[in-house]
Amino acid sequence: MSRIPDRETALVDLVDRLLGGGVVIAGDITLAVADVDLVYLSLRALVTSVATAEEKQLLPRMGSAL
Amino acid sequence: MIQLVAITDDQSAPAPPLRAVACDGLTAICAPADESRPDADSLWRHEELVEALMETRDLLPVRYGTLLADDAAVAQAVGGRSGQLAGQLERVRGAVEIAVRVADRASSPLSGQSAASGTDYMRLQAERVRIARVIHDELSTVARDSTTRPGPELMRGAYLVERGSVDDFVARVRRLQDASPGLDLICTGPWPPYSFADGEGS
Repeated sequence: MSRIPDRETALVDLVDRLLGGGVVIAGDITLAVADVDLVYLSLRALVTSVATAEEKQLLPRMGSAL
Repeated sequence: MIQLVAITDDQSAPAPPLRAVACDGLTAICAPADESRPDADSLWRHEELVEALMETRDLLPVRYGTLLADDAAVAQAVGGRSGQLAGQLERVRGAVEIAVRVADRASSPLSGQSAASGTDYMRLQAERVRIARVIHDELSTVARDSTTRPGPELMRGAYLVERGSVDDFVARVRRLQDASPGLDLICTGPWPPYSFADGEGS
C-alpha cells in the first residue's frame, strides 16, 4: 500500500475489499460468518468515527491521500 | 481447517506459512486457518499476505473468511469450477485495483451550509453528484474495468488498472483533484483485484 498516508483512511477500502470483494467460493465451505459479522460491526463503528472526524477537519485533508 | 487465500495459475511455491494446493490446472494458495476473532490487525495481516503474492503473480483474491476442511475440500471446491475461475483470472491478468472515493470537502462553497435555501441545497447536491459521476466516467476511460459500491461519499469507485499504468492513473486522479477544489479524491492502492474477481463489475 504505497500511496496511503493513513491506515484509518485506507481501512475503509480494506474492509470493502476483504469483506465485500474477492471470489466467493460456494459449496462445502464453512464461512466464519458470525466472526465476520462482528468485525464488520466494529469496523463500521470505526469507519463512522473517521468520517465524522474528517467532516470536522480533525484529520489531514483527504486530498493529501494522493 | 485451512483458509483459502487466493487462486492463481502460477506454479511457483509461495513462502511459508502459505502453501499451494493443485486444483485442475489452477493453484489454490492456502494458509493455516486463523481461528481468532478477526479485527483490523488481522485484516491487514491477511492483506499483506495477498499483496506479497500479487507482486509476482496474477491472482484472484478469495473472500476473507473462506475456511475449508482440508486439501481435498479445496481441490473439490476450486477444481469444480476451474473453467469459470480461469476465465475470471484472465479478466484481471496484468492488472491491479485502485480505489478512488470522492467526498465533499467541508469548506467547499458547494457544501450544504452555504446554501441559502432548500432549493439551493438541492441544486448544489445535484451538482456534486454530477461532478462525482464525471470523475468516475473519466477514470473509467483509462481503466480496463470499473465498478462502484455504495458508501457515504459521493462516489466510491474501484478501477482495474494495468500494472504499468498505475502512475499515469494516479496522475490523472491528481489532475482531477486539482480541477475539483470543492471535493476530496481519496486514492488508495494498488490492491489485489478484489472488486473484479467474482465476475461482477460494469
